[in-house]
Amino acid sequence: MKNIRNKVTTLRLRFLILSVSVLLLPISCTDLEEEVFSEVTESSFVPAESDIIAVMASAYTPMRYVMGWQGYFDVQEEPADMFVTPTRPNGWDDGGTYKRMHFHEWTETQWQPRNTWITCFNGINSANRVILQIESGELPVSEAQATSIIAEMRALRALYYSMLVDTHGNVPIIASYSDELPVQSSRSEVYDFIVSELNEVIPNLTETVDQSTYGRMTKWAAYHVLARVYLNAEVYTGTAQWDNVIAACDEIIDSGAFELSSNYSDIFATENQGNSEMVFAIPYDQIFAGQWNAHMKMMNPEHRLVFGMQAQPWGGSSCNPQFIDSYEPTDNRLADTWLMGDQLSYTDGSVVFTLVKEMPSIYGCDFTQGFKCGKYEIEPGATGGLSVDFPFLRYTDVLMMKAEALLRTDRSDEAATIVTQVRMRSFDDPADAAVTGAELEGDTTVEYGTLAEDGTIDEPGDQSVVPYGRFLDELGWEFAAEARRRTDLIRFGVYQTKNWYNHTPKGDYTTLFPIGLEELNTNTNLNQNPGY
Amino acid sequence: MKLANFLSKAFLEINGFKKQFFFSVVCLVFAQTAFSQQQVTGTITDKSGIPIAGASVVEKSTTNGTVTDFDGNFEITTSDSNAILVFSYLGFATQEVPATSNMSVVLEEDLEQLSEVVVIGYGTQKRADVTSSVATVKAEDFVQGNVKDAAQLIQGKVAGLSVSAPSGDPTEGTQISLRGMSSLSADSAPLVLVDGVPGSLNTVAPEDIESVDVLKDGSATAIYGTRGTNGVIIITTKKGTNDMKSTIEYNGYASLATIADRMNFLNASELRQKFNEGYTFTGANLQDFGADTDWVDEITRDAFSQVHNIIFRGGNSTSNMTASVNYRDIEGIFLKSNNEKYTGRINVNHAMFDNKLKTNVGVILSEQVYNALGDGQSFNPTIYRQAIIHNPTEPIYNEDGSYFERAVYFYDNPVSMIQETIGENRYRTSRIDFSMSYDFGDHLTVKGLYTRKGETNIRGFYQTKNHVSTTESGQDGFASRGTDNYVGNYGQFTVDYDNNFGDHRVTALAGYNYEDNMNEGFWANNRRFPTDGFTYNNIGSGQGLQLGEAGMGSFKNADKLIAFFSRVTYNYDNRYLLMASLRREGSTRFGEDYKWGNFPGISLGWRVDQESFAENWDWLSNLKLRTGFGVTGTNAGERYQSLSGLSYGDYFFNNGQWVRQLVPSRNANSNLRWEKKEEFNVGLDFGVLGGRINGSVDYYNRTTKDALFDYSVPTPPYFYGSIAANVAEIKNTGLEFLLNVTPFQTDNFQWTANLTYSTNTNEIVSLSNDEFQLTNDFFDEGYTGEPIQISTHRVQEGQPIGNFFGLKSVDITDDGIWIIERPDGSRVPATEATNDDRQVLGNGLPKAYYSWNNTVKYKNWDLMFNLRGALDYQILNFSRMFYENPTIGYNTLDSAYDLVYGKAVLQDVQRYVSHYIEDGDFLKIDNVTLGYTLPKDAIKFAQTFRIYASGLNLATFSKYKGIDPEINNRDNPLSPGNDNRDKYPTIRTFTLGINFTF
Repeated sequence: MKNIRNKVTTLRLRFLILSVSVLLLPISCTDLEEEVFSEVTESSFVPAESDIIAVMASAYTPMRYVMGWQGYFDVQEEPADMFVTPTRPNGWDDGGTYKRMHFHEWTETQWQPRNTWITCFNGINSANRVILQIESGELPVSEAQATSIIAEMRALRALYYSMLVDTHGNVPIIASYSDELPVQSSRSEVYDFIVSELNEVIPNLTETVDQSTYGRMTKWAAYHVLARVYLNAEVYTGTAQWDNVIAACDEIIDSGAFELSSNYSDIFATENQGNSEMVFAIPYDQIFAGQWNAHMKMMNPEHRLVFGMQAQPWGGSSCNPQFIDSYEPTDNRLADTWLMGDQLSYTDGSVVFTLVKEMPSIYGCDFTQGFKCGKYEIEPGATGGLSVDFPFLRYTDVLMMKAEALLRTDRSDEAATIVTQVRMRSFDDPADAAVTGAELEGDTTVEYGTLAEDGTIDEPGDQSVVPYGRFLDELGWEFAAEARRRTDLIRFGVYQTKNWYNHTPKGDYTTLFPIGLEELNTNTNLNQNPGY
Repeated sequence: MKLANFLSKAFLEINGFKKQFFFSVVCLVFAQTAFSQQQVTGTITDKSGIPIAGASVVEKSTTNGTVTDFDGNFEITTSDSNAILVFSYLGFATQEVPATSNMSVVLEEDLEQLSEVVVIGYGTQKRADVTSSVATVKAEDFVQGNVKDAAQLIQGKVAGLSVSAPSGDPTEGTQISLRGMSSLSADSAPLVLVDGVPGSLNTVAPEDIESVDVLKDGSATAIYGTRGTNGVIIITTKKGTNDMKSTIEYNGYASLATIADRMNFLNASELRQKFNEGYTFTGANLQDFGADTDWVDEITRDAFSQVHNIIFRGGNSTSNMTASVNYRDIEGIFLKSNNEKYTGRINVNHAMFDNKLKTNVGVILSEQVYNALGDGQSFNPTIYRQAIIHNPTEPIYNEDGSYFERAVYFYDNPVSMIQETIGENRYRTSRIDFSMSYDFGDHLTVKGLYTRKGETNIRGFYQTKNHVSTTESGQDGFASRGTDNYVGNYGQFTVDYDNNFGDHRVTALAGYNYEDNMNEGFWANNRRFPTDGFTYNNIGSGQGLQLGEAGMGSFKNADKLIAFFSRVTYNYDNRYLLMASLRREGSTRFGEDYKWGNFPGISLGWRVDQESFAENWDWLSNLKLRTGFGVTGTNAGERYQSLSGLSYGDYFFNNGQWVRQLVPSRNANSNLRWEKKEEFNVGLDFGVLGGRINGSVDYYNRTTKDALFDYSVPTPPYFYGSIAANVAEIKNTGLEFLLNVTPFQTDNFQWTANLTYSTNTNEIVSLSNDEFQLTNDFFDEGYTGEPIQISTHRVQEGQPIGNFFGLKSVDITDDGIWIIERPDGSRVPATEATNDDRQVLGNGLPKAYYSWNNTVKYKNWDLMFNLRGALDYQILNFSRMFYENPTIGYNTLDSAYDLVYGKAVLQDVQRYVSHYIEDGDFLKIDNVTLGYTLPKDAIKFAQTFRIYASGLNLATFSKYKGIDPEINNRDNPLSPGNDNRDKYPTIRTFTLGINFTF
């Protein structure tokens, strides 16, 4: 008996030791290192040469927000006199966001201006990150490459700042990628920064204009941005820079790298890459880069049947009838820009619905009320992301900037020559295209004043002459729906003084948007813009 | 030759050994029988003389035992003439009686249940010794009928635990929360342990569950440090015991579910009447199309379900086993929303070496198949929305049989969508448990446990060429497939010690815990198929891939949790009780220097009734004061948040080609650490009149520090606008009452009632710390969705979570425009109101929950009815906000044409105003069950046989105008009370069921 017990005890012990150690084996560690599978860790990342462009890309891609949902397009067009987004049968009150934009009654929580702030700083942050990675030697580049990449990134950063100096003005200047909480700068300091940065990097930027530089910051794109900030220098700093505008524009014109597109619509076609006007394009693609959904907001749901689209548009924005009325009857840009009247079926040509010009009120319009923007080509099968490349900087703008500077410096006939040259392609009769310097110096042809529901003016408001107003009209007709009307209206003093549609002026302070609540909330260094 | 030699030698040796062994065994047996064998027979009955079948009879301090037969008779041969027999049966007090030759034992029902065993973390404790807040619900008290999961079994049974089933979707589970919201991050679900291993409320079938224990306060859950913040739910499955008689138990029921309530939208004749009254509409209700269609009827049905569960149990002196199979075939009230699940479970226990070495092997397997009306999802809210907003005068089909469609914004034929969608999700889960424990004599036990868990699913989804995705959007057939895989390892090693030193009883526990989890998945979709014939089974045949319209993706991630823990309990003279525990736990998800956290817990108890001064208080059967303090933690919701990662993201057009950009994956927070909740609990357990009235009261005060949340940060310097960080501080306090009463008790009639009441008050103490500061002390949460597009809630320091924040409507203009009262009291039309005019309009979290559960037994009949409700909270009725408005482009609620404030019909745009915020207080008659147990002599073939009829969600009493005042708050915990307009309607079910045991 004892014998058995001993055996059992030994067996028992052995078994116990075995089982305990077996149980402990898989669990005997305290290692808490994270295992990563579907992303790259920064510490283990060794960039290859092909990664250089991938890293730089992050500084460019934010630009695609321009035609994206409540992007730069909305910031530049919704508060201006051309686009109205009224309540429609399927909604579009959206918590009053479009009405606040139209009335200039936005607050610090208004999303569209916040979106611009966030996106531009995202681009700036990314550009700074690339610069840091080059300077620290993290990216495998030659010295020559390093110089040109840093120049390109600084020029791109200046481009983002050229948008911010216009929308928010007093923004932090952030010239490096660091942990420090940004400090606010004044609008004129931001202006100075943009000018000095561009002037500094221009010698190091490429002059090549071909596929390899398409959608990238070239020397000419940098001059174009420079000309734009000079053009608005009086708004930004109080001091005009008209001669500098002309000098910068002449650099681009004299390069011979660009020419006017012979056909206006070609600039806005699906296959517009490589158009001779493109100084800086933002490439979109329905498969690879589908952020362009501005057309969904501008078309009616039933335009799906008109264009044979895959997607059903949302039917929001239309054109203020007052702006439609300002066009000269023979100007082909009216029909090139706006969808009007009968809209025909893509399959059988029958009338699907009829668009009328009149828009009773921002508080209620039917889908068919108000002309729709049809400037950007809608291909059959189009989806919620359009493939048209956005002509953010185009050659016509270079010519028109030069013309405006000439006009404002008492060289109106020279200006008229340029404007006539631009108008030529949009009039069947060259005689209709011709304008004179005296005409350009004259008042606007837009009849400002708020509209009653029947379309008559009920509150005329400020009816004083707009200096060079006719030139402002030219900008409107040529650059309609190109995400810039707000800037132009401010420069011509219309934005802060005139009534249009359901809008009455609220004061000079509205020329800058408020800094967002979230931004103020998280950065104690920031002070709100005056007036808010 | 050699071989033969060897074999014969071996045989001889074995033979020799055998002989020796046989002789020894004979000696041993003979020696024992010779001394003291005694034959004992007897009967066990309850007080009323009804025999108790299946009661256990064990000779004390031995493994010698038996069970009673149908007539309560037993027969046992004791090893000692002075043997003590231990009689026990579930629900009765255990008795120890010296063995005599012919015994008649009467077992007393155990109302007090002080001797009942409570499952606490990594062990059990006698109810009398528990010093923290722990609730136990046994199978006989479970909610009966077509329950969704383990949580619904104990709905309304535990004070402070709120369980709701806000969706009628058979694939959706219940929603549970314990003691309010103590975290800002999304997951407020308690930790669920199934037989000691982390699992889910669905790991085993509800019919397979023996009891559910809920650890409520921090001192109890601190031993589970990591995920103890929201409480711990411990599920114990039905198991065999040694020496039990073999039984087969069947549980089955069939049920019918109907939509609990419908919203009143205009039907065809009502719409025609509106046309006649001169109303004109745009969009959906533009004109009369001549038909009369009830769109919701066309996509819903009365749903029939059946559930069958069989459990086999049995055991001999050293081994026992449990095996069960469960089949559930649940239909949803929407067409094509079937859900079938098979679960199988086997659990085998074996004891060796005088019961010192115990091993357990368990396997749980399940397979679930359900229809997918959405891509990868059971329910597609769009289909339901389209049905309710559709023009009731439209026909379903054109004359040629094709679906009737119109080019109206966001408006598609719901019948087409449901009929032309083919989808199926299939899930398989497996769990293999292996554990071994060794008992070193009386004081020390060592236990190891290992569990391997697995879960896979494969999903298929197809929209035919008759679906709007083709007829309206030109996709030419759309297919999607996906699969996920999960593998988890769980290991645990514990050493248990317990000993008595006179009046001092000490137990101690030390352990190590390891857990890892790995998830991976793959999905693809395609379009433009040559035929509908393949559905999703030939995804490569579509042309969408070549056209750049196909999508695909894959992922993999992993994490680990490792912990060391210890616990000591001390009991002095059954009067003074102490429990203290400490867990040190590490998670991979935190920053390099913050991976480990310490989670201590301590609790004390004083059993007043055991004091000498209470000796004469005969009316008092139990009085215990408890208090405890514990720290628990919350793990980061996402992996890798402390890590600097890079991802290839959006495309960039470079030199004629699209290349991916390389960007940081997130704002990495290397200081990310545990969210910690400190909880103080004080409680009182009492029982009077022999336990006929008993209950408990608990007060808790929990403070969550370093609460995890995605905080807004400035960009730059940060790359993205938010970062996961430990910033906020939240406080919750509350009271919980539990009362069990037996108002009537006679031989034939018994009524027991159980009442719970719990309150909760919540406050956000802070939203800033040194590192992350908000200039304002709030942020906005919740979202109305299109077209109203505004936030619904404000989370603000000094305020409770769940505040509705919007415009206060007080009147209406003659033109039907809302009049808004500003915070300063002045009034403006809504068209002039701004965001600055918003104010707090109510709160979406109930301040109190209550329940009243009754069980009445009369002879063989039993009746159970449960009432439950919530008090003092508001609901934002999205359905009214969107559809109680005659100006919209879709069908409307009948009430859209009523005068608002008795003055005017609404003519304003859809707005978020206080008019749509309603009181949610409700009382539900939730579960009524009537059962009949056949008398023992009526059936020969079975031990027990019970039939029952049951109803769930029978009636709701509430002023709330929506479908159901119980709201799904899980998906958006910071904006509670938003009653989404697309939610799957809740259901009412009626069930007929049978239980019997062979």
